[in-house]
Amino acid sequence: MLVARVEGNVVATRKHPSLEGWRLVICQPINQTGAAEGVPQVAIDAYGAGMHQRVVISSDGSAARKTVGDEKSPARWMVVGIVDEKQ
Amino acid sequence: MRLGTVIGRVTLSQTVPALVGARWLIVSPFTREHFPGGTQSGTPGPAALTKEPSLIVYDDLGGTTGQTIGFVEGREAAAPFEAPTPVDAINAALVDEIFHSPLQ
Repeated sequence: MLVARVEGNVVATRKHPSLEGWRLVICQPINQTGAAEGVPQVAIDAYGAGMHQRVVISSDGSAARKTVGDEKSPARWMVVGIVDEKQ
Repeated sequence: MRLGTVIGRVTLSQTVPALVGARWLIVSPFTREHFPGGTQSGTPGPAALTKEPSLIVYDDLGGTTGQTIGFVEGREAAAPFEAPTPVDAINAALVDEIFHSPLQ
């Protein structure tokens, strides 16, 4: 799991059927100081994370498949929570 | 899922049986610098080439050269297949629009 900042979203009409109806957000992993670290990942989002909000994303494909309800889904990254505050 | 630009295609005459007839794209993955930093639709143009190594991506959505796609890497790339299939990256979405607004 990574702490990331939401930096946008992606619109795709033609996609794997399992991603139909899911919000796809661009998540930029960040470090302790909030600076960008690593490459942005596009994650499925069930919580409606807002622009520049900090979120925790998980790369657990098995959980993502359960979330979208399709055992044959290529979904991998998903938003698992929105960060209130970090110490 | 990561985003990338399709920069070409590959065809294979000899493949493992599970991949006969598959369509393959050569994809240059986006780094942070390649995101538009605003609103844009479709293709970011030739500046989108990355220094990162290009990937061969399995495609069943019909991506074409110049298009931006979302691809999934890792074990999940093989999830859509019935039989065990040696696939490392799969095209999961043809991107129409990217809304991107970096904080800094």
